[in-house]
Amino acid sequence: MNETTMSDQEEATTTSSSAQRPEVTTDTATQSGTGRTVIETRNLDVYYGDTQALQDVTLEIPEKQVTAMIGPSGCGKSTYLRCLNRMNDLVESARIEGDVLLNGKNIYDEDVEPVALRRRIGMVFQHPNPFPKSIYDNVAYGLRVQNKEVTDDIVEESLRRAALWDEVKDQLDTSALDLSGGQQQRLCIARAIAVDPEVILMDEPASALDPIATSKIEDLIEELAEDYTVVIVTHNMQQAARISDKTAVFLTGGELVEFDDTEKIFENPEHQRVEDYITGKFG
Amino acid sequence: MATEPESETDFRADASLRWRQFKGRLFVGLLVLSTLIGVLSLVALFIVIGSDALGLAAVFWWAPAPIIGRIPLPFSEWLLLYLGALVAPISAYTLYIRQDGARQAVNAKSFTAVFGFLTLAAVVFAIGDAVRPHDIAIYAVFISVALGSVLGYRHRYGSNHLTGPAIPVSVLVGIAVARILYGPINGAIAILANWILFVLITTVPAAAALGYLSAQRYSRGTGIATAGLVTIGAGIAVAGTLPQGIDPSLWVVLVSIFVAPVAFVTVDTIKTRSSGRIGLIGPWLLAGSIAVAATAERALGIHGLESWLTPTLITTSWNGVAPEQAGVYPQIVGSILIVGTMALLAFPVGIGAAIYLEEYAPSSGLGGTVTTIVDVNISNLAGVPSVVYGLLGLSLFQNFFNLAPIHVGPVTVTPETFGLAPNIVLAAAVTLGFLILPIVIVSSQEALRSVPDAHRQASYGLGASRWQTVRNVVIPEAVPGILTGTILALGRAIGETAPLVMLGVATTTYSSPEGLFGSATALPLQVFNSATNAIPEYRTGVVAAASIVLLVLMLLMNATAIVIRNRYENN
Repeated sequence: MNETTMSDQEEATTTSSSAQRPEVTTDTATQSGTGRTVIETRNLDVYYGDTQALQDVTLEIPEKQVTAMIGPSGCGKSTYLRCLNRMNDLVESARIEGDVLLNGKNIYDEDVEPVALRRRIGMVFQHPNPFPKSIYDNVAYGLRVQNKEVTDDIVEESLRRAALWDEVKDQLDTSALDLSGGQQQRLCIARAIAVDPEVILMDEPASALDPIATSKIEDLIEELAEDYTVVIVTHNMQQAARISDKTAVFLTGGELVEFDDTEKIFENPEHQRVEDYITGKFG
Repeated sequence: MATEPESETDFRADASLRWRQFKGRLFVGLLVLSTLIGVLSLVALFIVIGSDALGLAAVFWWAPAPIIGRIPLPFSEWLLLYLGALVAPISAYTLYIRQDGARQAVNAKSFTAVFGFLTLAAVVFAIGDAVRPHDIAIYAVFISVALGSVLGYRHRYGSNHLTGPAIPVSVLVGIAVARILYGPINGAIAILANWILFVLITTVPAAAALGYLSAQRYSRGTGIATAGLVTIGAGIAVAGTLPQGIDPSLWVVLVSIFVAPVAFVTVDTIKTRSSGRIGLIGPWLLAGSIAVAATAERALGIHGLESWLTPTLITTSWNGVAPEQAGVYPQIVGSILIVGTMALLAFPVGIGAAIYLEEYAPSSGLGGTVTTIVDVNISNLAGVPSVVYGLLGLSLFQNFFNLAPIHVGPVTVTPETFGLAPNIVLAAAVTLGFLILPIVIVSSQEALRSVPDAHRQASYGLGASRWQTVRNVVIPEAVPGILTGTILALGRAIGETAPLVMLGVATTTYSSPEGLFGSATALPLQVFNSATNAIPEYRTGVVAAASIVLLVLMLLMNATAIVIRNRYENN
């Protein structure tokens, strides 16, 4: 508990001071992570108009690990993800009940400003969506809107961490739209990590990419988990098995059926429906 | 069975398929016909107006000379002369330029620079001359001092939350202060000759802008040298004209806004481009060929077209009894003033409304219903006949919506109290502004709607507020589309006649408007008026030539907007 409080204060200073880089993790936070819960949802229900998209979802997402959400189309996994940074607020018909706690603080409280929240939770979308600006400006965009100092070093570091630097270092001023789909998606990841968020949400980040680009993105996600808490939605079960530490299985109707270590889910799931889904009997 | 194929390999069309294909071809034929009618109507327009304005009718129909003293001589000499002196060199040059992308690019840039700055110089001089350069100078100085101090502060101390909003506020403050201090300052500087004020409003900004540009591109020393050269150039223009009793104003403007920028672009292109420099000569070749052809025409005594499209037409004022001496210069200035003021008033309002409706207005619930109602009504307003808008302008500027006179204690307030009347430039601009507002709003909405939602989401996901998203992502992406809409609106406004007639704008005036509160005049009104002149040459030649001037004016405005849009799209 004590650790949580301290890290909260640290986060607060990090976001208020400008241009802090992710500190090199020297102590307990190693690849396996600390296991501390960063995001917790309790009895989360989401409605779009009269349709219920999520039913009573309760789960805990651990720090500095990859947590995967899998399930068939329309099962609510993307909806769940978009609740974590309040992107669903932008959908006028959406109604959310239940609690989403980030470091113990309910992000749907009255005193939470979604814009401030999203500065600490980065997001990567299904289709690469770089702005029609230069590569440099794409990476710098988040820093600029958050009033942080933009330096060439931060841009280079972000692109390096997104494994894109070597491919684009000579064309930082050219339009991001000239890149290939896979490069664009890595640019979107660089853009998200440039502002040094605590959590990175990824909504099927590789579903629009070819296998080679996909494998690059997957390697990248595993590396990112050393410094960030990553939540990824995918409908590719092999992908979830390859890169995630924890897996949540959503099935039709917005219901969370099972949430456990990835190995357990894929080798010995508790529920018959999960096993049927994973072995390809439906979905 | 008829529908059953005869065998596995019979892929021939049967009767039913052939009938369908026939109907398809018939449909395509009708579509081609529609296109042809559209194209032909345009061609007919140009033939009718062009032949009247250029006197081509005499050539086409071999008609007898319409006016004594203007006898068409055998046309072939004239044709040969222009083929040799104008068409041949320009065609050869064009073919040569088209072989290479770099040449084409330089050529396009050169044409844009030469004719763009020439037009700009002409417009600045015409407006300055009509409005009095003193007035422009007073407002320009105060606005630039206010704006300059804000920009200087931002440059020195970096931007903060206040510098952004301070920019528009400073412009308004500059205008307000200038308005308050106008009387005494105007009294003090009224004795200064026009050209001194033209130096202030053209040479100074030109020297500053070009100096700044070359300092950025080359070095600080080059920048200072460039600014110095521009100033020296203006000095030469004054020295060359003033002792001979010629007003140097026009020459000062030409040197500052035409010669200096074109020279800068030329030198810069030569220095930075390694290939395609030949494209620089394009506009000069065109101008030179025309000059050679015209000189030869005069020297050899060849009589060509009896064109009504003469320099007289665009540089002098109206003459109602001698068609050769009729000019529409005041009307051109009036149209530019009206449309320019209209653009300044209507575009911010229209684009602002579009941004609100698309990005902020609620889309569901009760608010959504209101938004829908507003949307539908704005679309319908775009179709309201222009003469009705004239009525709106009339009631607003004649009588404060027919409420006036308003009695405030012992004072009676009428529109005249504020210098307002329905036939002034401001009234015409506001009325046309109302007219184009729906067009601007609807087209800007379309442009904003075409910005992918994914870009908005990406921006929100990075912790941008709604305002930041609109400002940094949505508007920049929508600008080209918004500009396309404003081009349409400009074209519509410049040709509007009916609302101006409703406002009682004079159809014939002999001097340019003296400012926003001066009597308005506009080119379409003069066209309308000369169509009823008792002398036949007005009804055919002059009216057609004035129409062409109007079309060219519209095309120039469109070209300006297109150049801005293309520059924006490339960046």
